[in-house]
Amino acid sequence: MTSVLNARDIGERRMDIDILCKVVDNYGDIGFAYRLARSLSELPAPPRLRLVVDDLAAFALLDPAIDSGAAVQLHRGWEVYRWQGDGSGEAAAAFRARRPRIVLECFACGRPDWLEDIIFDPCPKEERLLVDLEHLTAEKYAEELHRMPSLTRSASVKKAMFLPGFGPGTGGLVMDGSFSRSRRRASSEPGRSELRLELLADLGSPAAGAEDRFWICSFSYERDYSRIVADLAAFDALAARGQGRHILVFAAAGKGGDRLAAAWAGAGKPFPLVALPFLPQERWDELLLACDFSIIRGEDSWARAALSGRPFLWQAYPQEGRHQMVKVAAFLERLRPHFAAAAFSALEELYLSFNDRDADGPTVSGRESLPSVLSLHPELLPGFKAFSESLLRNRDLASSLLTFLREIV
Amino acid sequence: MVVTSQLRTGSVFKVGNDALVVQRILGQKTGRSGMVTRFRVKNIVSGQTSDVALDAGEKFESVDLDIFQMKLSYIDGDTYVFMEQETFEQYEISKEDLGDNAGYISADDDYPIEITFYDGKPVGVTPPILVERTITYCEPGVKGDTSGKTFKPATLDTGIEVSVPLFCDIGTKIKLDTRDGTFVERAK
Repeated sequence: MTSVLNARDIGERRMDIDILCKVVDNYGDIGFAYRLARSLSELPAPPRLRLVVDDLAAFALLDPAIDSGAAVQLHRGWEVYRWQGDGSGEAAAAFRARRPRIVLECFACGRPDWLEDIIFDPCPKEERLLVDLEHLTAEKYAEELHRMPSLTRSASVKKAMFLPGFGPGTGGLVMDGSFSRSRRRASSEPGRSELRLELLADLGSPAAGAEDRFWICSFSYERDYSRIVADLAAFDALAARGQGRHILVFAAAGKGGDRLAAAWAGAGKPFPLVALPFLPQERWDELLLACDFSIIRGEDSWARAALSGRPFLWQAYPQEGRHQMVKVAAFLERLRPHFAAAAFSALEELYLSFNDRDADGPTVSGRESLPSVLSLHPELLPGFKAFSESLLRNRDLASSLLTFLREIV
Repeated sequence: MVVTSQLRTGSVFKVGNDALVVQRILGQKTGRSGMVTRFRVKNIVSGQTSDVALDAGEKFESVDLDIFQMKLSYIDGDTYVFMEQETFEQYEISKEDLGDNAGYISADDDYPIEITFYDGKPVGVTPPILVERTITYCEPGVKGDTSGKTFKPATLDTGIEVSVPLFCDIGTKIKLDTRDGTFVERAK
Protein backbone atom coordinates (compact mmCIF):
# COMPACT_ATOMS: atom_id res chain seq x y z
CA MET A 1 0.00 0.00 0.00
CA THR A 2 1.44 3.39 -0.91
CA SER A 3 1.89 6.29 1.47
CA VAL A 4 -1.27 8.10 2.47
CA LEU A 5 0.18 10.67 4.82
CA ASN A 6 3.00 13.11 4.49
CA ALA A 7 5.96 12.82 6.85
CA ARG A 8 4.69 15.84 8.76
CA ASP A 9 1.60 13.87 9.80
CA ILE A 10 3.72 11.41 11.69
CA GLY A 11 6.66 13.45 12.84
CA GLU A 12 5.55 17.01 13.30
CA ARG A 13 1.90 16.92 14.18
CA ARG A 14 -0.56 14.46 15.60
CA MET A 15 -2.14 11.84 13.42
CA ASP A 16 -5.78 12.57 12.67
CA ILE A 17 -8.14 9.64 13.05
CA ASP A 18 -11.91 9.60 12.60
CA ILE A 19 -13.86 6.78 14.23
CA LEU A 20 -17.27 5.84 12.78
CA CYS A 21 -19.75 3.84 14.83
CA LYS A 22 -23.28 2.65 14.16
CA VAL A 23 -25.14 1.09 17.06
CA VAL A 24 -26.76 -2.09 15.75
CA ASP A 25 -28.64 -3.89 18.50
CA ASN A 26 -27.10 -3.07 21.85
CA TYR A 27 -24.08 -1.35 23.30
CA GLY A 28 -21.21 -3.57 22.13
CA ASP A 29 -20.53 -1.43 19.06
CA ILE A 30 -20.43 1.89 20.86
CA GLY A 31 -18.78 0.21 23.84
CA PHE A 32 -15.90 -0.89 21.63
CA ALA A 33 -15.63 2.48 19.85
CA TYR A 34 -15.67 4.40 23.13
CA ARG A 35 -13.06 2.17 24.73
CA LEU A 36 -10.87 2.33 21.61
CA ALA A 37 -11.06 6.13 21.61
CA ARG A 38 -10.04 6.25 25.27
CA SER A 39 -7.24 3.80 24.69
CA LEU A 40 -5.89 5.67 21.64
CA SER A 41 -5.95 8.91 23.63
CA GLU A 42 -3.87 7.33 26.39
CA LEU A 43 -1.01 6.37 24.08
CA PRO A 44 2.21 8.36 23.83
CA ALA A 45 1.81 10.87 20.97
CA PRO A 46 -1.94 10.20 20.86
CA PRO A 47 -3.85 10.84 17.65
CA ARG A 48 -6.37 13.66 17.32
CA LEU A 49 -9.79 11.98 17.30
CA ARG A 50 -13.19 12.72 15.86
CA LEU A 51 -16.06 10.32 16.57
CA VAL A 52 -19.16 10.03 14.37
CA VAL A 53 -21.91 8.10 16.16
CA ASP A 54 -25.47 7.35 15.05
CA ASP A 55 -26.90 6.79 18.55
CA LEU A 56 -25.68 9.37 21.02
CA ALA A 57 -28.27 8.25 23.57
CA ALA A 58 -26.57 4.84 23.70
CA PHE A 59 -23.21 6.58 24.00
CA ALA A 60 -24.56 8.69 26.89
CA LEU A 61 -25.51 5.55 28.80
CA LEU A 62 -21.89 4.41 28.68
CA ASP A 63 -20.56 7.87 29.47
CA PRO A 64 -23.16 10.15 31.10
CA ALA A 65 -21.11 13.25 30.21
CA ILE A 66 -22.14 12.83 26.55
CA ASP A 67 -24.95 15.18 25.46
CA SER A 68 -27.28 12.97 23.42
CA GLY A 69 -28.98 16.02 21.91
CA ALA A 70 -25.91 17.77 20.57
CA ALA A 71 -25.05 17.48 16.89
CA VAL A 72 -21.47 18.49 17.71
CA GLN A 73 -19.67 18.42 21.03
CA LEU A 74 -16.23 18.30 22.56
CA HIS A 75 -15.68 15.47 25.01
CA ARG A 76 -12.43 14.17 26.56
CA GLY A 77 -10.57 16.17 23.93
CA TRP A 78 -12.46 14.49 21.07
CA GLU A 79 -14.87 16.07 18.64
CA VAL A 80 -18.08 14.03 18.68
CA TYR A 81 -20.52 14.31 15.79
CA ARG A 82 -23.95 12.93 15.15
CA TRP A 83 -24.00 10.54 12.16
CA GLN A 84 -27.36 11.77 10.89
CA GLY A 85 -27.33 14.86 8.77
CA ASP A 86 -26.62 16.05 5.28
CA GLY A 87 -24.02 17.99 3.39
CA SER A 88 -25.23 21.28 4.84
CA GLY A 89 -24.89 20.19 8.48
CA GLU A 90 -22.28 21.16 11.06
CA ALA A 91 -20.53 17.80 10.82
CA ALA A 92 -20.11 18.03 7.06
CA ALA A 93 -18.79 21.59 7.40
CA ALA A 94 -16.26 20.49 10.01
CA PHE A 95 -15.09 17.53 7.90
CA ARG A 96 -14.79 19.71 4.82
CA ALA A 97 -12.71 22.20 6.80
CA ARG A 98 -10.43 19.45 8.08
CA ARG A 99 -10.67 16.61 5.60
CA PRO A 100 -10.56 13.03 6.87
CA ARG A 101 -7.24 11.27 6.32
CA ILE A 102 -7.68 8.05 8.31
CA VAL A 103 -11.19 6.73 8.92
CA LEU A 104 -11.93 3.70 11.11
CA GLU A 105 -15.20 1.97 10.22
CA CYS A 106 -16.09 0.02 13.34
CA PHE A 107 -17.57 -3.35 12.35
CA ALA A 108 -17.97 -2.46 8.67
CA CYS A 109 -20.52 0.18 9.66
CA GLY A 110 -20.19 2.05 6.38
CA ARG A 111 -20.09 5.84 6.13
CA PRO A 112 -22.74 8.55 6.39
CA ASP A 113 -23.66 9.98 2.99
CA TRP A 114 -22.33 13.44 3.81
CA LEU A 115 -18.96 11.92 4.72
CA GLU A 116 -18.95 9.64 1.69
CA ASP A 117 -19.10 12.69 -0.54
CA ILE A 118 -16.18 14.32 1.27
CA ILE A 119 -14.03 11.17 1.31
CA PHE A 120 -14.54 10.50 -2.39
CA ASP A 121 -14.28 14.12 -3.47
CA PRO A 122 -11.48 13.99 -6.08
CA CYS A 123 -10.26 17.47 -5.04
CA PRO A 124 -7.98 17.90 -3.23
CA LYS A 125 -5.79 15.08 -4.49
CA GLU A 126 -4.44 13.96 -1.13
CA GLU A 127 -4.90 10.29 -0.32
CA ARG A 128 -7.13 8.90 2.40
CA LEU A 129 -7.20 5.59 4.24
CA LEU A 130 -10.26 3.66 5.40
CA VAL A 131 -9.86 0.82 7.88
CA ASP A 132 -12.56 -1.81 8.34
CA LEU A 133 -12.26 -2.68 12.01
CA GLU A 134 -14.09 -5.98 12.17
CA HIS A 135 -15.94 -7.85 14.90
CA LEU A 136 -14.08 -9.91 17.45
CA THR A 137 -13.92 -13.58 16.54
CA ALA A 138 -11.95 -16.58 17.70
CA GLU A 139 -12.07 -18.14 14.23
CA LYS A 140 -8.86 -18.60 12.25
CA TYR A 141 -9.97 -16.09 9.67
CA ALA A 142 -9.10 -13.35 12.16
CA GLU A 143 -5.44 -14.10 11.47
CA GLU A 144 -6.10 -14.49 7.71
CA LEU A 145 -7.91 -11.19 7.26
CA HIS A 146 -5.94 -9.10 9.74
CA ARG A 147 -4.01 -6.32 7.94
CA MET A 148 -5.18 -7.49 4.50
CA PRO A 149 -5.50 -4.79 1.86
CA SER A 150 -9.00 -3.93 0.70
CA LEU A 151 -10.28 -1.68 -2.08
CA THR A 152 -12.59 1.23 -2.72
CA ARG A 153 -13.81 2.66 -6.00
CA SER A 154 -11.16 5.38 -5.86
CA ALA A 155 -7.43 4.89 -6.28
CA SER A 156 -6.95 7.80 -3.87
CA VAL A 157 -8.96 6.16 -1.10
CA LYS A 158 -7.05 3.16 0.19
CA LYS A 159 -8.66 0.61 2.45
CA ALA A 160 -7.40 -2.14 4.77
CA MET A 161 -8.75 -4.70 7.21
CA PHE A 162 -7.91 -4.76 10.90
CA LEU A 163 -9.18 -7.56 13.13
CA PRO A 164 -9.26 -7.81 16.88
CA GLY A 165 -8.65 -11.30 18.19
CA PHE A 166 -7.29 -13.71 20.73
CA GLY A 167 -4.10 -14.76 18.93
CA PRO A 168 -0.77 -13.02 18.35
CA GLY A 169 -1.51 -12.81 14.61
CA THR A 170 -4.44 -10.47 15.21
CA GLY A 171 -4.86 -6.90 16.44
CA GLY A 172 -5.47 -8.15 19.99
CA LEU A 173 -7.96 -6.62 22.41
CA VAL A 174 -8.37 -3.06 23.68
CA MET A 175 -6.71 -2.55 27.06
CA ASP A 176 -7.62 0.94 28.17
CA GLY A 177 -6.05 2.41 31.29
CA SER A 178 -9.21 2.31 33.36
CA PHE A 179 -9.78 -1.39 32.72
CA SER A 180 -6.11 -2.19 33.36
CA ARG A 181 -6.20 -0.37 36.69
CA SER A 182 -9.41 -2.10 37.76
CA ARG A 183 -8.00 -5.45 36.68
CA ARG A 184 -4.85 -4.95 38.73
CA ARG A 185 -6.96 -3.91 41.69
CA ALA A 186 -9.23 -6.96 41.43
CA SER A 187 -6.26 -9.32 41.14
CA SER A 188 -5.49 -9.03 44.87
CA GLU A 189 -7.97 -10.23 47.49
CA PRO A 190 -7.89 -6.98 49.52
CA GLY A 191 -8.37 -4.92 46.37
CA ARG A 192 -11.21 -7.12 45.20
CA SER A 193 -12.98 -6.98 48.59
CA GLU A 194 -12.71 -3.22 48.55
CA LEU A 195 -14.11 -3.15 45.02
CA ARG A 196 -17.03 -5.35 46.05
CA LEU A 197 -17.88 -3.10 48.99
CA GLU A 198 -17.83 -0.05 46.72
CA LEU A 199 -20.11 -1.77 44.22
CA LEU A 200 -22.53 -2.86 46.94
CA ALA A 201 -22.64 0.68 48.32
CA ASP A 202 -23.45 1.92 44.83
CA LEU A 203 -25.84 -0.81 43.68
CA GLY A 204 -27.49 -1.72 46.96
CA SER A 205 -26.80 -4.75 49.14
CA PRO A 206 -29.69 -7.22 49.00
CA ALA A 207 -28.40 -9.81 51.48
CA ALA A 208 -26.34 -10.16 54.62
CA GLY A 209 -22.70 -10.89 53.95
CA ALA A 210 -23.24 -10.01 50.31
CA GLU A 211 -19.58 -9.14 49.79
CA ASP A 212 -18.50 -12.69 50.62
CA ARG A 213 -21.04 -14.48 48.44
CA PHE A 214 -20.33 -16.20 45.12
CA TRP A 215 -21.07 -13.38 42.68
CA ILE A 216 -22.63 -14.25 39.34
CA CYS A 217 -23.35 -11.69 36.64
CA SER A 218 -25.77 -12.49 33.83
CA PHE A 219 -25.73 -10.54 30.56
CA SER A 220 -27.17 -12.76 27.86
CA TYR A 221 -29.53 -12.73 24.90
CA GLU A 222 -33.17 -13.36 25.68
CA ARG A 223 -34.01 -16.97 26.43
CA ASP A 224 -36.09 -19.11 28.74
CA TYR A 225 -34.34 -18.54 32.08
CA SER A 226 -36.37 -20.99 34.18
CA ARG A 227 -33.73 -23.70 33.79
CA ILE A 228 -30.92 -21.30 34.69
CA VAL A 229 -32.78 -20.10 37.79
CA ALA A 230 -33.35 -23.72 38.86
CA ASP A 231 -29.66 -24.49 38.29
CA LEU A 232 -28.56 -21.45 40.27
CA ALA A 233 -30.95 -22.34 43.09
CA ALA A 234 -29.52 -25.88 43.15
CA PHE A 235 -25.98 -24.49 43.35
CA ASP A 236 -27.03 -22.07 46.09
CA ALA A 237 -28.59 -24.93 48.07
CA LEU A 238 -25.21 -26.66 48.23
CA ALA A 239 -24.01 -23.86 50.52
CA ALA A 240 -26.64 -24.79 53.08
CA ARG A 241 -25.03 -28.24 53.16
CA GLY A 242 -21.62 -26.71 53.74
CA GLN A 243 -20.47 -27.02 50.13
CA GLY A 244 -19.44 -23.73 48.59
CA ARG A 245 -20.84 -20.26 49.13
CA HIS A 246 -24.29 -18.78 48.82
CA ILE A 247 -24.75 -16.86 45.59
CA LEU A 248 -25.57 -13.29 44.70
CA VAL A 249 -26.79 -12.76 41.14
CA PHE A 250 -26.59 -9.53 39.14
CA ALA A 251 -28.99 -9.27 36.20
CA ALA A 252 -27.72 -6.78 33.60
CA ALA A 253 -30.14 -4.12 32.39
CA GLY A 254 -32.03 -5.04 29.25
CA LYS A 255 -34.54 -7.59 27.97
CA GLY A 256 -32.40 -10.56 28.97
CA GLY A 257 -32.01 -9.24 32.50
CA ASP A 258 -35.74 -8.49 32.72
CA ARG A 259 -36.59 -12.05 31.75
CA LEU A 260 -34.08 -13.49 34.19
CA ALA A 261 -35.60 -11.36 36.97
CA ALA A 262 -39.09 -12.49 35.95
CA ALA A 263 -38.08 -16.17 35.99
CA TRP A 264 -36.40 -15.65 39.35
CA ALA A 265 -39.55 -14.02 40.78
CA GLY A 266 -41.67 -16.81 39.28
CA ALA A 267 -39.53 -19.39 41.06
CA GLY A 268 -40.12 -17.71 44.43
CA LYS A 269 -36.89 -15.66 44.54
CA PRO A 270 -34.74 -18.60 45.66
CA PHE A 271 -31.56 -16.49 46.00
CA PRO A 272 -30.77 -12.78 46.18
CA LEU A 273 -30.75 -10.99 42.83
CA VAL A 274 -29.84 -7.41 41.95
CA ALA A 275 -31.59 -6.06 38.86
CA LEU A 276 -28.91 -3.69 37.64
CA PRO A 277 -29.54 -0.26 36.22
CA PHE A 278 -27.57 0.49 33.07
CA LEU A 279 -24.02 0.95 34.29
CA PRO A 280 -21.45 3.31 32.81
CA GLN A 281 -18.70 1.37 31.07
CA GLU A 282 -16.06 1.70 33.78
CA ARG A 283 -18.53 0.58 36.48
CA TRP A 284 -19.56 -2.40 34.36
CA ASP A 285 -15.90 -3.38 34.01
CA GLU A 286 -15.50 -3.27 37.79
CA LEU A 287 -18.53 -5.48 38.29
CA LEU A 288 -17.25 -8.09 35.83
CA LEU A 289 -13.88 -8.11 37.57
CA ALA A 290 -15.51 -8.42 41.00
CA CYS A 291 -17.69 -11.40 40.00
CA ASP A 292 -16.72 -15.04 40.45
CA PHE A 293 -18.58 -16.17 37.34
CA SER A 294 -20.29 -14.38 34.46
CA ILE A 295 -22.65 -15.27 31.67
CA ILE A 296 -21.61 -12.88 28.92
CA ARG A 297 -22.79 -11.85 25.48
CA GLY A 298 -21.74 -9.17 23.04
CA GLU A 299 -18.54 -7.71 21.73
CA ASP A 300 -16.95 -5.51 24.35
CA SER A 301 -18.17 -7.50 27.34
CA TRP A 302 -16.86 -10.72 25.79
CA ALA A 303 -13.43 -9.15 25.46
CA ARG A 304 -13.60 -7.82 29.04
CA ALA A 305 -14.60 -11.25 30.38
CA ALA A 306 -11.75 -12.88 28.47
CA LEU A 307 -9.28 -10.39 29.94
CA SER A 308 -10.73 -10.64 33.45
CA GLY A 309 -9.13 -13.98 34.29
CA ARG A 310 -12.42 -15.06 35.88
CA PRO A 311 -14.50 -18.04 34.74
CA PHE A 312 -17.31 -17.14 32.37
CA LEU A 313 -19.81 -18.60 29.93
CA TRP A 314 -19.97 -16.85 26.57
CA GLN A 315 -23.24 -16.69 24.69
CA ALA A 316 -22.58 -16.07 21.01
CA TYR A 317 -24.99 -13.99 18.93
CA PRO A 318 -27.57 -16.49 17.60
CA GLN A 319 -27.23 -16.69 13.82
CA GLU A 320 -29.09 -18.26 10.94
CA GLY A 321 -28.51 -21.98 10.70
CA ARG A 322 -27.00 -21.91 14.20
CA HIS A 323 -23.78 -20.61 12.68
CA GLN A 324 -22.88 -19.35 16.16
CA MET A 325 -21.76 -22.91 16.95
CA VAL A 326 -18.79 -22.47 14.59
CA LYS A 327 -17.81 -19.38 16.54
CA VAL A 328 -18.27 -21.09 19.91
CA ALA A 329 -16.20 -24.10 18.80
CA ALA A 330 -13.43 -21.75 17.66
CA PHE A 331 -13.42 -19.94 20.99
CA LEU A 332 -13.29 -23.24 22.88
CA GLU A 333 -10.17 -24.15 20.91
CA ARG A 334 -8.56 -20.89 22.07
CA LEU A 335 -9.43 -21.76 25.68
CA ARG A 336 -8.57 -25.49 25.63
CA PRO A 337 -4.75 -25.33 25.99
CA HIS A 338 -5.06 -23.48 29.30
CA PHE A 339 -7.16 -26.07 31.14
CA ALA A 340 -6.87 -29.54 32.64
CA ALA A 341 -8.83 -32.01 30.52
CA ALA A 342 -11.51 -32.96 33.06
CA ALA A 343 -12.47 -29.39 34.00
CA PHE A 344 -12.43 -28.32 30.37
CA SER A 345 -14.73 -31.14 29.38
CA ALA A 346 -17.49 -29.83 31.65
CA LEU A 347 -16.92 -26.27 30.47
CA GLU A 348 -17.03 -27.33 26.82
CA GLU A 349 -20.30 -29.21 27.32
CA LEU A 350 -21.84 -26.15 28.95
CA TYR A 351 -20.65 -23.80 26.20
CA LEU A 352 -21.98 -26.07 23.46
CA SER A 353 -25.33 -26.85 25.06
CA PHE A 354 -25.97 -23.25 26.12
CA ASN A 355 -25.33 -21.95 22.61
CA ASP A 356 -26.91 -24.72 20.53
CA ARG A 357 -30.23 -23.05 19.97
CA ASP A 358 -32.18 -20.75 17.73
CA ALA A 359 -32.83 -17.23 18.95
CA ASP A 360 -35.00 -17.39 22.07
CA GLY A 361 -35.53 -21.12 21.67
CA PRO A 362 -34.74 -23.85 24.17
CA THR A 363 -31.39 -25.58 24.02
CA VAL A 364 -31.30 -28.51 21.68
CA SER A 365 -29.66 -30.93 24.02
CA GLY A 366 -31.25 -29.68 27.23
CA ARG A 367 -28.04 -30.68 29.01
CA GLU A 368 -26.91 -27.35 30.34
CA SER A 369 -24.51 -28.32 33.08
CA LEU A 370 -24.29 -24.98 34.87
CA PRO A 371 -24.15 -26.37 38.46
CA SER A 372 -21.33 -28.77 37.62
CA VAL A 373 -19.30 -25.98 36.04
CA LEU A 374 -19.94 -23.64 38.97
CA SER A 375 -18.80 -26.43 41.31
CA LEU A 376 -15.58 -26.67 39.30
CA HIS A 377 -14.82 -23.00 39.89
CA PRO A 378 -11.54 -23.65 41.79
CA GLU A 379 -10.31 -25.90 38.96
CA LEU A 380 -11.41 -23.49 36.22
CA LEU A 381 -9.99 -20.31 37.75
CA PRO A 382 -6.30 -21.04 36.92
CA GLY A 383 -7.24 -21.84 33.32
CA PHE A 384 -9.11 -18.58 32.79
CA LYS A 385 -6.24 -16.70 34.47
CA ALA A 386 -3.72 -18.34 32.15
CA PHE A 387 -5.93 -17.53 29.15
CA SER A 388 -6.20 -13.87 30.13
CA GLU A 389 -2.44 -13.68 30.67
CA SER A 390 -1.89 -15.07 27.17
CA LEU A 391 -4.10 -12.24 25.86
CA LEU A 392 -2.12 -9.66 27.81
CA ARG A 393 1.06 -10.89 26.13
CA ASN A 394 -0.40 -9.75 22.80
CA ARG A 395 -0.05 -6.02 22.23
CA ASP A 396 -3.18 -4.09 23.04
CA LEU A 397 -5.34 -3.19 20.07
CA ALA A 398 -4.85 0.59 20.15
CA SER A 399 -1.04 0.26 20.06
CA SER A 400 -1.21 -2.38 17.33
CA LEU A 401 -3.56 -0.22 15.31
CA LEU A 402 -1.37 2.87 15.56
CA THR A 403 1.71 0.84 14.59
CA PHE A 404 -0.20 -0.57 11.61
CA LEU A 405 -1.31 2.87 10.51
CA ARG A 406 2.21 4.22 10.79
CA GLU A 407 3.51 1.32 8.71
CA ILE A 408 1.08 1.74 5.85
CA VAL A 409 0.61 5.49 5.69
CA MET B 1 -22.42 0.66 -9.30
CA VAL B 2 -21.73 -2.89 -8.23
CA VAL B 3 -21.50 -3.98 -4.60
CA THR B 4 -19.14 -6.59 -3.22
CA SER B 5 -21.89 -9.17 -2.77
CA GLN B 6 -22.55 -9.12 -6.54
CA LEU B 7 -18.95 -9.91 -7.49
CA ARG B 8 -18.29 -13.38 -8.93
CA THR B 9 -15.35 -15.01 -10.64
CA GLY B 10 -15.08 -13.19 -13.94
CA SER B 11 -16.72 -9.96 -12.69
CA VAL B 12 -14.98 -6.77 -13.72
CA PHE B 13 -15.07 -3.58 -11.66
CA LYS B 14 -13.19 -0.32 -11.47
CA VAL B 15 -10.82 1.12 -8.89
CA GLY B 16 -10.02 4.62 -10.04
CA ASN B 17 -9.17 4.28 -13.73
CA ASP B 18 -8.08 0.66 -13.45
CA ALA B 19 -10.34 -2.26 -14.37
CA LEU B 20 -9.96 -5.34 -12.18
CA VAL B 21 -11.24 -8.81 -12.96
CA VAL B 22 -12.06 -11.30 -10.21
CA GLN B 23 -10.00 -14.44 -10.79
CA ARG B 24 -10.78 -16.40 -7.65
CA ILE B 25 -12.93 -16.24 -4.58
CA LEU B 26 -10.49 -17.27 -1.88
CA GLY B 27 -12.91 -17.47 1.01
CA GLN B 28 -15.77 -15.84 2.84
CA LYS B 29 -16.58 -15.20 6.46
CA THR B 30 -19.89 -14.27 7.92
CA GLY B 31 -20.42 -12.12 10.95
CA ARG B 32 -23.01 -9.84 12.43
CA SER B 33 -21.83 -7.04 10.18
CA GLY B 34 -22.17 -9.11 7.02
CA MET B 35 -19.88 -10.98 4.74
CA VAL B 36 -16.20 -10.29 4.14
CA THR B 37 -14.92 -11.99 0.99
CA ARG B 38 -11.31 -12.55 -0.02
CA PHE B 39 -10.75 -12.23 -3.76
CA ARG B 40 -7.81 -12.68 -6.08
CA VAL B 41 -8.11 -9.85 -8.57
CA LYS B 42 -6.10 -9.00 -11.67
CA ASN B 43 -5.53 -5.54 -13.03
CA ILE B 44 -6.54 -5.96 -16.65
CA VAL B 45 -4.15 -3.33 -17.93
CA SER B 46 -1.02 -3.91 -15.82
CA GLY B 47 -1.55 -7.66 -15.42
CA GLN B 48 -0.73 -7.42 -11.71
CA THR B 49 -2.64 -9.78 -9.43
CA SER B 50 -3.35 -9.18 -5.76
CA ASP B 51 -5.39 -10.69 -2.95
CA VAL B 52 -7.84 -8.34 -1.29
CA ALA B 53 -10.59 -8.55 1.32
CA LEU B 54 -13.81 -6.66 0.64
CA ASP B 55 -16.65 -6.08 3.07
CA ALA B 56 -20.17 -6.47 1.79
CA GLY B 57 -21.09 -2.80 1.66
CA GLU B 58 -18.31 -1.43 -0.53
CA LYS B 59 -19.52 -0.09 -3.87
CA PHE B 60 -17.54 0.00 -7.10
CA GLU B 61 -18.10 1.47 -10.50
CA SER B 62 -19.06 -1.14 -13.03
CA VAL B 63 -17.14 -1.34 -16.29
CA ASP B 64 -18.45 -1.09 -19.84
CA LEU B 65 -17.83 -4.53 -21.23
CA ASP B 66 -18.58 -6.34 -24.44
CA ILE B 67 -19.99 -9.79 -23.91
CA PHE B 68 -20.12 -12.45 -26.63
CA GLN B 69 -21.42 -16.00 -26.58
CA MET B 70 -18.77 -18.52 -27.62
CA LYS B 71 -17.93 -22.17 -27.31
CA LEU B 72 -14.78 -23.60 -25.85
CA SER B 73 -13.11 -25.08 -28.89
CA TYR B 74 -10.09 -26.79 -27.36
CA ILE B 75 -7.55 -26.55 -24.57
CA ASP B 76 -3.88 -26.32 -25.46
CA GLY B 77 -1.85 -26.70 -22.30
CA ASP B 78 -2.81 -23.72 -20.13
CA THR B 79 -4.48 -21.89 -23.01
CA TYR B 80 -8.22 -22.12 -23.54
CA VAL B 81 -9.29 -21.37 -27.11
CA PHE B 82 -12.85 -20.13 -27.63
CA MET B 83 -14.62 -19.83 -30.97
CA GLU B 84 -17.25 -17.31 -31.97
CA GLN B 85 -19.97 -19.44 -33.57
CA GLU B 86 -20.87 -17.15 -36.47
CA THR B 87 -17.54 -15.71 -37.53
CA PHE B 88 -15.46 -18.69 -36.34
CA GLU B 89 -13.00 -16.21 -34.95
CA GLN B 90 -10.88 -17.66 -32.15
CA TYR B 91 -9.84 -16.06 -28.88
CA GLU B 92 -7.34 -17.34 -26.35
CA ILE B 93 -7.62 -16.96 -22.60
CA SER B 94 -5.06 -18.35 -20.19
CA LYS B 95 -6.07 -20.78 -17.46
CA GLU B 96 -4.81 -18.25 -14.91
CA ASP B 97 -7.12 -15.59 -16.29
CA LEU B 98 -10.08 -17.97 -16.22
CA GLY B 99 -9.46 -18.47 -12.49
CA ASP B 100 -11.96 -20.77 -10.79
CA ASN B 101 -14.10 -20.87 -13.94
CA ALA B 102 -11.51 -23.09 -15.66
CA GLY B 103 -12.75 -25.89 -13.44
CA TYR B 104 -16.31 -25.66 -14.73
CA ILE B 105 -15.79 -25.78 -18.48
CA SER B 106 -14.63 -28.43 -20.92
CA ALA B 107 -14.24 -28.64 -24.68
CA ASP B 108 -16.82 -31.45 -24.61
CA ASP B 109 -19.54 -29.07 -23.43
CA ASP B 110 -22.31 -28.14 -25.84
CA TYR B 111 -23.49 -24.99 -24.14
CA PRO B 112 -22.23 -21.50 -24.99
CA ILE B 113 -20.15 -19.47 -22.56
CA GLU B 114 -20.16 -15.71 -22.16
CA ILE B 115 -16.78 -14.20 -22.94
CA THR B 116 -16.14 -10.77 -21.48
CA PHE B 117 -14.13 -8.28 -23.54
CA TYR B 118 -12.56 -5.14 -22.17
CA ASP B 119 -11.01 -2.73 -24.65
CA GLY B 120 -11.17 -5.41 -27.34
CA LYS B 121 -9.35 -8.00 -25.25
CA PRO B 122 -10.96 -11.13 -23.71
CA VAL B 123 -10.55 -10.87 -19.95
CA GLY B 124 -12.87 -13.45 -18.45
CA VAL B 125 -15.71 -15.89 -18.93
CA THR B 126 -19.04 -16.48 -17.28
CA PRO B 127 -20.18 -20.08 -17.50
CA PRO B 128 -23.87 -20.95 -17.05
CA ILE B 129 -24.96 -20.92 -13.39
CA LEU B 130 -25.50 -24.70 -13.53
CA VAL B 131 -23.11 -27.00 -15.35
CA GLU B 132 -22.87 -30.78 -15.58
CA ARG B 133 -19.58 -32.48 -14.81
CA THR B 134 -18.45 -36.08 -14.31
CA ILE B 135 -16.68 -37.40 -11.23
CA THR B 136 -13.39 -39.04 -12.19
CA TYR B 137 -12.29 -39.95 -8.68
CA CYS B 138 -13.81 -40.20 -5.22
CA GLU B 139 -14.01 -42.75 -2.44
CA PRO B 140 -16.62 -45.46 -3.15
CA GLY B 141 -20.23 -44.36 -2.80
CA VAL B 142 -22.21 -45.19 0.33
CA LYS B 143 -25.43 -46.93 -0.62
CA GLY B 144 -28.50 -45.85 1.27
CA ASP B 145 -27.13 -42.45 2.27
CA THR B 146 -29.30 -40.21 0.15
CA SER B 147 -29.59 -37.40 2.69
CA GLY B 148 -27.03 -35.30 0.83
CA LYS B 149 -25.92 -33.75 4.11
CA THR B 150 -22.57 -35.48 4.49
CA PHE B 151 -19.90 -34.72 1.92
CA LYS B 152 -16.64 -36.14 0.63
CA PRO B 153 -14.06 -34.75 -1.80
CA ALA B 154 -14.35 -35.68 -5.47
CA THR B 155 -12.19 -34.90 -8.51
CA LEU B 156 -14.04 -33.87 -11.66
CA ASP B 157 -13.24 -34.37 -15.34
CA THR B 158 -11.85 -30.82 -15.45
CA GLY B 159 -9.38 -31.64 -12.69
CA ILE B 160 -10.88 -29.56 -9.90
CA GLU B 161 -11.90 -30.96 -6.54
CA VAL B 162 -15.35 -30.30 -5.10
CA SER B 163 -17.43 -31.66 -2.22
CA VAL B 164 -20.11 -34.19 -3.15
CA PRO B 165 -22.59 -36.26 -1.10
CA LEU B 166 -21.54 -39.73 0.05
CA PHE B 167 -23.84 -41.50 -2.43
CA CYS B 168 -21.79 -40.24 -5.42
CA ASP B 169 -19.39 -42.58 -7.18
CA ILE B 170 -16.78 -42.49 -9.94
CA GLY B 171 -18.63 -41.82 -13.18
CA THR B 172 -21.54 -40.07 -11.50
CA LYS B 173 -22.67 -36.98 -13.42
CA ILE B 174 -23.44 -34.06 -11.15
CA LYS B 175 -24.80 -30.54 -11.45
CA LEU B 176 -22.64 -27.77 -9.97
CA ASP B 177 -23.45 -24.16 -9.13
CA THR B 178 -20.64 -22.21 -10.79
CA ARG B 179 -21.12 -19.21 -8.52
CA ASP B 180 -19.62 -21.02 -5.56
CA GLY B 181 -18.73 -24.50 -6.80
CA THR B 182 -21.31 -26.27 -4.69
CA PHE B 183 -22.98 -29.58 -5.57
CA VAL B 184 -26.62 -29.08 -6.57
CA GLU B 185 -27.91 -32.51 -7.54
CA ARG B 186 -27.15 -35.69 -9.42
CA ALA B 187 -27.58 -35.03 -13.16
CA LYS B 188 -30.37 -37.00 -14.78
